[in-house]
Amino acid sequence: MPAEPRRSQILLVAWAVTTFALSASKDPRVLLSAALAAALLFRRGAAPVARRVVVGVLPFALGLPLASWAWLAWREEAPPVAPFATLALRAALIAFVTLSVLRRVDLLRAAAPFPTLSRLLVLSLAQIHALRRLATESALGLRSRLPRRPGTRDAVRSSGAVTVALLSLSARNARDVGDALRSRGFH
Amino acid sequence: MHVPDGFLSPVITLPAWGAAAPLWYWAARRNFGASATESLPILGSLTALAFVVQRLMIPVPGGTSAHLTGVAILAILYNPGVAFVCESLVLLLQALFFGAGGFTVLAVNALAMGLLGPGAAWLAYRALRGLSEPGAAFAGAYVGMQVATLAVALVLGLQHRLDPAYMPVPFEVTVAATMLPSLTVLGVVEGLFTVATMALLRRARLLHAR
Repeated sequence: MPAEPRRSQILLVAWAVTTFALSASKDPRVLLSAALAAALLFRRGAAPVARRVVVGVLPFALGLPLASWAWLAWREEAPPVAPFATLALRAALIAFVTLSVLRRVDLLRAAAPFPTLSRLLVLSLAQIHALRRLATESALGLRSRLPRRPGTRDAVRSSGAVTVALLSLSARNARDVGDALRSRGFH
Repeated sequence: MHVPDGFLSPVITLPAWGAAAPLWYWAARRNFGASATESLPILGSLTALAFVVQRLMIPVPGGTSAHLTGVAILAILYNPGVAFVCESLVLLLQALFFGAGGFTVLAVNALAMGLLGPGAAWLAYRALRGLSEPGAAFAGAYVGMQVATLAVALVLGLQHRLDPAYMPVPFEVTVAATMLPSLTVLGVVEGLFTVATMALLRRARLLHAR
């Protein structure tokens, strides 16, 4: 196995090609074979990934085809199930492959040979971390100040206030980071 | 409303990548400048802002909740180009770091949710702000949400038209599934959020000091 960052880069390129290839397939046999291969290849840590697919992807990937099939069956006659099942399988399989590969890839190391991309990723993720803390603290503060669960009106009003605070913080952070970059000789 | 991976074939996703790539380059150069020291901090901060705003959940009647998109406020405060670049980066981060959304469909989602929606929001806001500032902010956010959702529904409908065996869900079902929540709940919530944010920015005298 090649060393980092080459290993992560190879995995990422292979993943990108695979997801496009899978997204082109409408043959259930091909997709089932690919699902079997993916389950074997990514068997380590497959259970939590499968759980994330079931919770995060399946409700829409299965719900829309199911609703559509039921609607068509009620309106005319029941259409063949295979294309609907294939659609749900394709979406779930791509999500499973994506989550399994991303668990095995160090994205920041893979981006290391591209300094601008690397800095942008680090900056964005650091800012996300800082802003999320502020948003979480604000949400907890709102809940602690109200004797009941916050309703739509409370949440909308509070979201506006949080966004203003986030906007001010992000502008200040941007200035600080820009100064820090310049003081360290970046151009 | 994201299109997940697997719902659109490369017949649509590859041309979308081809269309989005020069637009990303143009919008980034135009709005964030050529110098990395100037552009990276503000781009990173606004992307983080859009990302975190999208995580704010609003409880809606019926026991469920809706999340904001926050791109209309970026388009109104800055311009649709800024919203497009930031929303695209948010989608990329969600796809690569958080396993949400999709990679093959990233360009389609970016064009719909990052360019068409915020573009419509910005146009509606500019057209109506002479009548009423809060009304224009609400209308902009509401219209932007509907345009983005309709664009997603149209692309899914186009996929059905091109290959019903690939995408068996007919256009009327896609439109109903996407537009009904958008028209009745999501657009209203996004509009109210945009009005509240604009009012607070104005009260804090930050609207022109951003």
